[in-house]
Amino acid sequence: MSHKNCYTRREMLSLCKNGFGGLALFGLLGAQGCRPETDLVQKTGGLTLPHYPARAKSVIFLYMDGGVSQVDSFDPKPRLARENGQDPYRKFKVDATQFNNIGKILKSPWDFKQYGESGMWVSDLFPNIAKCVDDLALVRSMVSDFPEHTNANYFLHTGIGIQGRPSMGAWVNYGLGSENQDLPGYVVLDGGLIPPGGMDNFKNGFLPASYQASILRAGDQPLANINPLEVSPEIQQKKLALARKMDDSLIGKIGHEDQVAAAINNYELAFRMQSAVPELTDLAGESKSTHRLYGTDSPDPHTRGYAAQCLLARRLVERGVRFIELTCPRVAADRWDQHNDLKNGHERNAHAVDQPIAGLLQDLKQRGLLETTLVVFAGEFGRTPFAQGDNGRDHNPSAFSIWMAGGGVRGGTVYGQTDEYGYRVVDKPTTIHDLHATMLHLLGIHHEQLTFRFSGRDIRLTDVAGNVIRDILV
Amino acid sequence: MPTLINRLVFISFCILLFAACRSEQEAAALPREVDFNFHIRPILSNHCFTCHGPDESSRQAGLRLDTYEGATALLESGKQAIVPGHWKRSEAIRRIASEEAEVIMPPPDANNPVSERDLALLKKWIRQGAEWKDYWAFLPPDTAVYDPELSIDHFINAQLELQGLEAAPEADKRQLARRLSYLLTGLPPKSDLIEHYVNDDAPDAYEQLVDQLLASPDFGERWARHWMDLVRYAETKGHEFDYPVIGAWRYRDYLIRAFNQDLPYDQLIREHLAGDLLEQQRYDPETGHNESLIGTVFYNMGEGKHSPVDIRKEEADRIDNIIDVTTKTFQGLTLACARCHDHKFDPLPTADYYALYGIFESARFTYYPTNSGLQAQARVDSIETHKQAIRSLIAGAMPAHEGPQVLATSQQFNEPEGPAAGAVRVLADFRKGDHQGWMVRGEAFAAGNALGEPEFDPDTDQLRGFAAAKASSRFGGIGVQGTLRSPTFTIDHDYLTARVAGQNTTVRLIIDNFQLIQAPIHGELTQELNSPDMTTIRMNLSMWRGSKAYLELLNGKMWKNRQRHDHSVEPDAWLEAEYAFLHDSASVQELPKLNALKNTPLRKKDLDQWAKGQTDRETAAALNRELPRANLGPVRGPISGHRDSIRAIRDRLYAFTSFGGVSEGDAVFSPVFIRGNHLQVSEERLPHRYLTAFKELYPNFSEQGSGRLELANAIADPDNPLTARVMVNRLWHHLFGRGLVETVDNFGLQGKIPTHPALLDHLALRFIEEDWSIKAMIREIALSDAFRRSTAPSEMSKKKDPQNLWLQHFPIRRLEAEAIRDGILAVSGRLDTSRFGPSVAVHLTPFMQGRGRPWESGPLDGDGRRSIYQAVRRNFLPPMMLTFDFPVPFSTFGNRNVSNVPAQSLNLMNDPFVQEQAEVWAQQILDREATFEERLDGIYRKAFARPPTEAEIEKARSFFAEQAALYQEVETQERSDSTGLASQEVAPDTEPKDPQLQTWADFCQVIFNIKEFIFLL
Repeated sequence: MSHKNCYTRREMLSLCKNGFGGLALFGLLGAQGCRPETDLVQKTGGLTLPHYPARAKSVIFLYMDGGVSQVDSFDPKPRLARENGQDPYRKFKVDATQFNNIGKILKSPWDFKQYGESGMWVSDLFPNIAKCVDDLALVRSMVSDFPEHTNANYFLHTGIGIQGRPSMGAWVNYGLGSENQDLPGYVVLDGGLIPPGGMDNFKNGFLPASYQASILRAGDQPLANINPLEVSPEIQQKKLALARKMDDSLIGKIGHEDQVAAAINNYELAFRMQSAVPELTDLAGESKSTHRLYGTDSPDPHTRGYAAQCLLARRLVERGVRFIELTCPRVAADRWDQHNDLKNGHERNAHAVDQPIAGLLQDLKQRGLLETTLVVFAGEFGRTPFAQGDNGRDHNPSAFSIWMAGGGVRGGTVYGQTDEYGYRVVDKPTTIHDLHATMLHLLGIHHEQLTFRFSGRDIRLTDVAGNVIRDILV
Repeated sequence: MPTLINRLVFISFCILLFAACRSEQEAAALPREVDFNFHIRPILSNHCFTCHGPDESSRQAGLRLDTYEGATALLESGKQAIVPGHWKRSEAIRRIASEEAEVIMPPPDANNPVSERDLALLKKWIRQGAEWKDYWAFLPPDTAVYDPELSIDHFINAQLELQGLEAAPEADKRQLARRLSYLLTGLPPKSDLIEHYVNDDAPDAYEQLVDQLLASPDFGERWARHWMDLVRYAETKGHEFDYPVIGAWRYRDYLIRAFNQDLPYDQLIREHLAGDLLEQQRYDPETGHNESLIGTVFYNMGEGKHSPVDIRKEEADRIDNIIDVTTKTFQGLTLACARCHDHKFDPLPTADYYALYGIFESARFTYYPTNSGLQAQARVDSIETHKQAIRSLIAGAMPAHEGPQVLATSQQFNEPEGPAAGAVRVLADFRKGDHQGWMVRGEAFAAGNALGEPEFDPDTDQLRGFAAAKASSRFGGIGVQGTLRSPTFTIDHDYLTARVAGQNTTVRLIIDNFQLIQAPIHGELTQELNSPDMTTIRMNLSMWRGSKAYLELLNGKMWKNRQRHDHSVEPDAWLEAEYAFLHDSASVQELPKLNALKNTPLRKKDLDQWAKGQTDRETAAALNRELPRANLGPVRGPISGHRDSIRAIRDRLYAFTSFGGVSEGDAVFSPVFIRGNHLQVSEERLPHRYLTAFKELYPNFSEQGSGRLELANAIADPDNPLTARVMVNRLWHHLFGRGLVETVDNFGLQGKIPTHPALLDHLALRFIEEDWSIKAMIREIALSDAFRRSTAPSEMSKKKDPQNLWLQHFPIRRLEAEAIRDGILAVSGRLDTSRFGPSVAVHLTPFMQGRGRPWESGPLDGDGRRSIYQAVRRNFLPPMMLTFDFPVPFSTFGNRNVSNVPAQSLNLMNDPFVQEQAEVWAQQILDREATFEERLDGIYRKAFARPPTEAEIEKARSFFAEQAALYQEVETQERSDSTGLASQEVAPDTEPKDPQLQTWADFCQVIFNIKEFIFLL
């Protein structure tokens, strides 16, 4: 396929709508015709992308499914210990919660200590991540709009709490394209738990399907339909060669037609992916010390599994994949959603992810990749400072903690503040839109100018809100 | 109203406009006459309306440019934005043309400068008098210029001529047959059909082919699926547990029948929006089932959240989705944009949104028995006849006194006494002998209050007395669908108590129309009953004070847990209620007893009234008193006969299954939610009405009832300027791959203007003239020359119109997901053309995980059924469909994406389904005795509707040779491997496949991977 000139992404998209196709050759896939670097300078909303120099090239989104308890992890609240067992209704106004089984004020089962030069407080749940605090920018003042998992998940992933909107990974690839010709630009590493709301957390919504996440799983078949079923590679190659010949003669007959030609060329990428993906997921070439660092040799099978995902995330970053999300492992005690038995559940979940995440941060740093990789650790909401029943915590969208590292983030920063119970935000409330705006900002994108016309409106990841959290940036 | 000349001028201008769109460098001459609708409004809308448009809240400097009055008003500065006739005096022009950052409009930070050309247009338009026109899509098509004699080609060819383009020749007959077959039925053409057509030299051969395909039952399966894209069709509700949409597939079948029967489009609209309210209900001629009711499942297709904390918000989101889908689907309008503020571009104020909101808020979700219809009604009537006969027999046997009728006219009841005035609110006291103004849906409670009903001993079947007053489904309604629902009330007390009895049955409190009641928060609002004796149930409502609600007696069972939420009626389900009331004190247990009755004698006239089904408490008491003296002996036999008949009829009346539609509730008038926030609402409540833009066509609706029927009538009205245009444009879109208005779901200012406005209006008027016949419209389009053209563009067309807006040739298109999968099944021979029925479960891959995952995976090949019969579970959509752009069902998708992603290639290369079908096909080929050439010929005819060329035969021949050699090699390799290895090496668990079969399967799979298979050429 030859191209006399390069179209902008927006032009391509409108041509695609008009039946001209060919998008794959330009955006996601970079292939021939338009050189990949032109993808990095795309017009969106009439502006050139990136809008300003990018600090980060890739994002690793560590999704903490179910909602980590802020008062048990990164937001210490001594008052909870003092008032443990007292009636929360006598202390503050209690909002309706999803289970509406409101118990007493519950102190954290874990001790907090200060770490690093910054002296950031971290609980004993995360002894390894605690060693990396000087690379973290902690936001203690996150708020969400939804107390239910599904809406909160859609909100966190797509900026709107309903099904069917493009996920942040899709937006980023729509804006920036991928740097890798053989791999998709948005990859979800499925650790075993697909969050409530399902695959729609990772979809392209109304953006073209090219921007949806590819789901990679551990096991023999890491990606759907990636393994040829033929008994030998030659047999498949012969089939593809015949198809190609017949397609070429079709082009000969009907004349050059962009849409058809693009669909033909698509096979080459698919074919390359058949070898690129197994190469990617084969961790045998990694050194022993790397394996140890991440914990792929841990006695805890969930730590092993998550460690492999974290290692894979680094390999994806190395290969120029824009957006990588990790979902949680399926530990015996459900996700972070501890409506009861907080101690056991949070401990198991933390044990599965703590070492691998710390390993990932250190490994990225050693390799000089952390500077250009934004790592985000976030759940969809936090948990209540009072118990659900005796020993659980219910959902709390009014306050939770997240952190970011690398990619232009100022390490050792603590931003925002909750009340003495960690129940509500009292200083610098920060929304999911703010988080998205900041992530896009670090990627060089002005969040108000990354738009897509749908349903008569120019729609953004940040809807009609969002402010970059400048205080945590370098 | 634009005149014909205006139109021609506009058309010629459009040509220039489009030419200009292609390249801004290419300076195009300005049109002789500038048209406001087609030239100026798009400029103002794109550059000015965000701050100077219809939305008052964001309006700057008090200037609005969306009305003539606004644009020409004297501004505070003493200037005038637009001075008709004088662009130099027009402040708007000065500001747009300015080069100073403080002056220029739009301001530099908006990053949205007006082009030189647009500026020139504005100037010229002002010079020509700045004529304002109403928005084109809101003006009715001009009947004065409508000429039924004109053909589609008249309009298309006029454009081509103006453009200097020469139409492409007619497509090859085989290509045409393939195109027609896929577009009309979604399947490749059947061999006999195509051969007959190719060899038929009659002048009407093509027309006959069109008619055959239109008459094929496959037609409905194709076009119903198009419609399902609009109405966000799904069989589950998504969110955390993916609960079912009850009876969704019955709605899918309803659509298939409707398209196959060519149900007039206005009727389809009315049934969707108000099927339950139509005076003339429509019944399926085959089954006698009610069709109109199924249309209302449309409302129930939205998402449903598990255990929402704020159910008012949940209702707001649900209604928002209904408004969004309704206005896009039927009107091509994006009214949902007006949820928080007036529409930024279209004349759709927020008040329009909340007027419709109230209409939809007034509807109640309702389970209808799946066999509602004529037969069921006849059976219910027949039960009633038998009951009457029993009463007459009993009446004849009762000792009665002559004397005046003493039917009580005024009945005295004790009003309940509570600890404080207003501490108790009675919702209903059925002991008074009627339904207390509650609403009956379905048949279970249709017989009315139980008062005076003869009761029979369950063991001996002997008459044992006459029932006291209560609401009951036990007399004729056991095991029958139906509800009895209270009027809507505001929860103003902490508790609800009801005195009820029943078997396998349910009492529910529906708050803010929320029906997906589940633990943990709302579990208490559904109470299942299994108590043959009257018992007291209680709900604590303190959490929901201030919410609107209604109480529902539901004959049947709600299955609710984390795996399911649906409704069914067991054969023994019945329910009775004495009363229900709200109260504040937890100690209140029951309502006081009613006053004792006077002992009145049983009078003849009262007895006659009773026999007819009308009675009072005194008479019922007298009947019970006199029963021991009745002479029942002679009538026992006949009564038993009638009782047996009733039982026999009732056995056939059972419908254990239901579908979820809507029914009428009390009128609710919504306030405006300030900036879309349901917690902050206006004082004023809006009357039910249709859009302000159409206020002259449709004045305010009646204050009684929901207004849904009036809404349906306003949309299905031939005078509605949008309805017919939007629908013919959708049909055109499906046939040509692009609508005359490209933005098929948006006819507003942010949509595209039509390429052929005169043709659009012509077709709209024609559609109405042809009684909204969808098939007639499709037929007319399919018979046009434009549709029959080859896909080869001329050199001129490639150069001047690369997007083929003028339809010089037929556009090449990729098939939709369903057509690709169905095509594979059709050619492989696996296609099972059974129609209708429950969906085939989705095949689950390891990549499909999450809550609500079905217990079992469906078959890999979906039982060979067409894709429309594959389950559409929101959280578990079939990956192959999604890969080929099946839309996620959350809103209206009239125009699917056509993407090109490697997952598509990987699917056709490596998906087990595709490989399996290739094998199925290969096996079928080998089962028949034939030569290589004959087999090849058969493959090509099936897949591409043509024989192979010589070159293709050659390629195939060498492929077979090479592939055979490769298999040989593999076999040799395996043999040497296995002999080389230790003998305990286990043999492969599957038998090696026959290399001949494998090679043919390889070849068949190659066919699936050729673009000619998935494209229409």
